[in-house]
Amino acid sequence: MMNLISGVNVTASALSAEQVRMDVVAENIANAYTTHGTDGTAYKRKVVSFESMLDPTGTGAQSVKVSQISTDSTPGPAIYDPGNPDANKDGMVQMPNVNLSTEMVDLMTASRAYEANLAVIRNARQMAAKALTIGH
Amino acid sequence: MIESLFSNPNYEASKLLLDATAARHEALASNIANVETPGYKRVDLSKNFSDAFSAQLKAGDLSSVPAPSIQQDPTATTERQDGNNVQIDKELMDMSSNSLQYDTLTEFVSGSLKQLQMAITGRSSM
Repeated sequence: MMNLISGVNVTASALSAEQVRMDVVAENIANAYTTHGTDGTAYKRKVVSFESMLDPTGTGAQSVKVSQISTDSTPGPAIYDPGNPDANKDGMVQMPNVNLSTEMVDLMTASRAYEANLAVIRNARQMAAKALTIGH
Repeated sequence: MIESLFSNPNYEASKLLLDATAARHEALASNIANVETPGYKRVDLSKNFSDAFSAQLKAGDLSSVPAPSIQQDPTATTERQDGNNVQIDKELMDMSSNSLQYDTLTEFVSGSLKQLQMAITGRSSM
């Protein structure tokens, strides 16, 4: 079964996967200084993993989906801040393991990938529009 | 007369190639969508189709060419550390040339139909 706009399912899946990735990066950046997360400890950064799956339309193209959002368990730095309510008895505060530069790079990669997929859709749209002019 | 226009080898060939370029677009969309999927291997139009197409084009009978399909590209070489072998710049370039090819084919098919219309009505459509 062929769509009028070819590859639209595959591209749409990639757009939503990249969107999830950007959401997760946003969450990481927002919580870059959260020393008291939902479980009472410092926030742990989250990582998105992608996996491909055969497109249900049966053309052989592969869509992409977010397979899991896992937690990065590398320990974050501890800083000396005795005035902080989360400080331990030595005055050290466990900070989240979020590295802002890593997150920014991730954000940029995700948004470039998003743009590349938008270019694909734009191209497919032009092709479909051209197909509709056959005979005119 | 009309049959001869519709069974013209060039016209037949361009119809098949329109299907093929649409399928190839799907393959390239899949590659660009999976540019960051670890272990993904790029796909492209099956060699089966292009081989059969060029052989049958020489023989002058395109009726037995199989429908274009997508398969993993065995010629792709450079593989990244995560097992993915998609090169985004190459894919985008392929996509531009593919849609240009699609445009050319639509122009040709349109031209053939316009010729027929001119023959029927005795004047050009516009």
